[in-house]
Amino acid sequence: MTFTNPQIQVEDLPNIEDVALKPISKSYLKIIALNSLALYSLVLGGVFGLKYLIKEDGYQANFWYVFLGVLIICIINFIISILAFKKRKYAVRGFDVIYAKGLIVHSVTTVPISRIQHVEESRSWLARHFGLSTLKIYTAGEAGSDLSIKGLPHLEAKGINDFISSQVNGNN
Amino acid sequence: MEITDFSQPIRQSIKGIIVIFAFNVVTFVKKFFVLFIAFGVSILRSKTIGNVTPTMMILALIGVLISLLFIAILKYLNFKFYISNEDFHLATGIINKDNTIIPKSKIQNVYIKQNFLQQIINVVSVKIETAGDKKSEIEISALDKPTALLLKKKLFSKTAIVTGETEQLEAIEEPEVFFKVTPKRLLLEGLSQNHFKSFLLIFTFAFGLYSEFKDFLQELELEQHVEGLVELDEATILNLIITNVIIVIGVVLISFLFSIVKTFIINFNLEVVEHQKTIEINKGLFNKVSLSLTPSRIQNLVITTNRVKQYFGLHTLAVKQAMVNVKQQKNFNIVALEKEQLNYLVNKLVSNYNEDQGEMAKPRPYYMRILSLEMLLLGSFINGFALAIFGIEMLWVNAIFIPLAALYVCFAYKKAYYRISENFVTIGSGVIETTTNILEIHKIQSVKLKQTIFQKPRDIASIVISTASKSVTIPYASKSEATIIYNFLLYKVESQERDWM
Repeated sequence: MTFTNPQIQVEDLPNIEDVALKPISKSYLKIIALNSLALYSLVLGGVFGLKYLIKEDGYQANFWYVFLGVLIICIINFIISILAFKKRKYAVRGFDVIYAKGLIVHSVTTVPISRIQHVEESRSWLARHFGLSTLKIYTAGEAGSDLSIKGLPHLEAKGINDFISSQVNGNN
Repeated sequence: MEITDFSQPIRQSIKGIIVIFAFNVVTFVKKFFVLFIAFGVSILRSKTIGNVTPTMMILALIGVLISLLFIAILKYLNFKFYISNEDFHLATGIINKDNTIIPKSKIQNVYIKQNFLQQIINVVSVKIETAGDKKSEIEISALDKPTALLLKKKLFSKTAIVTGETEQLEAIEEPEVFFKVTPKRLLLEGLSQNHFKSFLLIFTFAFGLYSEFKDFLQELELEQHVEGLVELDEATILNLIITNVIIVIGVVLISFLFSIVKTFIINFNLEVVEHQKTIEINKGLFNKVSLSLTPSRIQNLVITTNRVKQYFGLHTLAVKQAMVNVKQQKNFNIVALEKEQLNYLVNKLVSNYNEDQGEMAKPRPYYMRILSLEMLLLGSFINGFALAIFGIEMLWVNAIFIPLAALYVCFAYKKAYYRISENFVTIGSGVIETTTNILEIHKIQSVKLKQTIFQKPRDIASIVISTASKSVTIPYASKSEATIIYNFLLYKVESQERDWM
């Protein structure tokens, strides 16, 4: 075997920006909405509950301002979650898995398949209802380097899971 | 105990009972510490509690000690380990039997430790760590030294063969002590430490003690004494100032002393021994530690120094491994290294590392803007605090704060750089300290490109590189450059068939 050591042209390397990232399933938006609404109703319920607990005049007089403030925060949060949903995208290449997310702080994380320790497909009760799954990818790195791709169509998640598993086991 | 072959299940040395017992007592005392304090206080108050007399209490205590001893003996009897061809086996548990099997190839560290008690009864404990969970470590708490050394050798012996070493390990040249710290250098190291950290430690410790003993102190009516003292001094402003100055000087001195003593206790007799493939670190006064570093297990290297240390030629090398808990992480620091020694060690641990490989690049000036913003936030917080507590005349605090903040931004930007070479990523950072992070590209676990909504129009992005031990960030490069780095790192990781451990 002759050993060659060609020079690497940085421009010729596979480029992350050329990858067509796939958006996650539209149904997941419903799950986000349901989860958020449940959370907000809890918070607003709590604010209401405080109205009956705290008997001080200050709180009673300004109750509606407090309520309105919390409501506005909830609405802003909701809008951001909805907008951020569009940013959730993923791709699987021959050698790595890519996941992009975040509206305010956008991040694109790539995990090489050779570094994956194991994959897990988990489905919450709600997700099963919509035929979705969450794919969890664990590396040996810190917690920050683990990926969890939410809202994948069940079949696709299973497909990716099988593909990665076979790759990972093939390496050993 | 004669030298064993470890193929048959064996117990620890019989002295292990003492070690386990002592350990049990310590944990027991820690758990019921508050209870003891409460008892002590009530005994001070009245000679009995309800109708429990001190004699009964002492009897109860003896009962507890006997049961702890009993548990220790049972633990000792049910603790057996042996090595079969490729795995280390351990059976533990009194009622619930646990069998742990660790493949040799997955063992990351084998420490040999000796705490104060173990030094007295002349045994060592062997700790076996894998890169798995933080909990998955095994400690054999009492073996005599030759056995421990042999066990360590046996555990590492196969790994050498796996990496293509076919010669017998016995044929290794004599290991040589490459570096031994002198007391003078250790003293300098202690002096040039970040004393602020020590001060904080002491402060939290004192505060914790105070809240723990609050009732007790009230019992002793100490507060009245202290208040009495303060009242006396309030007679004259001058006295007050003098007292405060004395207190400040006292605190500074105590912090200094604390730093020095701590450095001495942890790094007492620090020596670095060179073997053919590994490096062994021995150190410690009350807690003697001996550990071997295998290059293939190292994820990151962190070099720290500061202005004062640089003047004395002191560098600290911290070796980061996968999933080692924070307490152990401190043991992997080699302090008080000269520049040449440091370079030699770095080269030994990561082969062919060269400081000047690759182009050095700096973050975009945008980084300064972010730093200034941080300082502005801190400044407004301090100002608000000063106004609320001391009123308008406290605004002169800005005369000190603003130049400091400016210096902070200046230094942080000056020291920030990154360098990507064929096989390494080097990242410099720090404000007071100068920190250099080195990692080998094939140890990377994942890469992340981060960009906030405000950075998008400015074309700025940061890269977070995670290895199995920590994440490092290349801050605020231009987007195009960040993308190039991102692609390059991924290409290197995926095209090489090199494992990370």
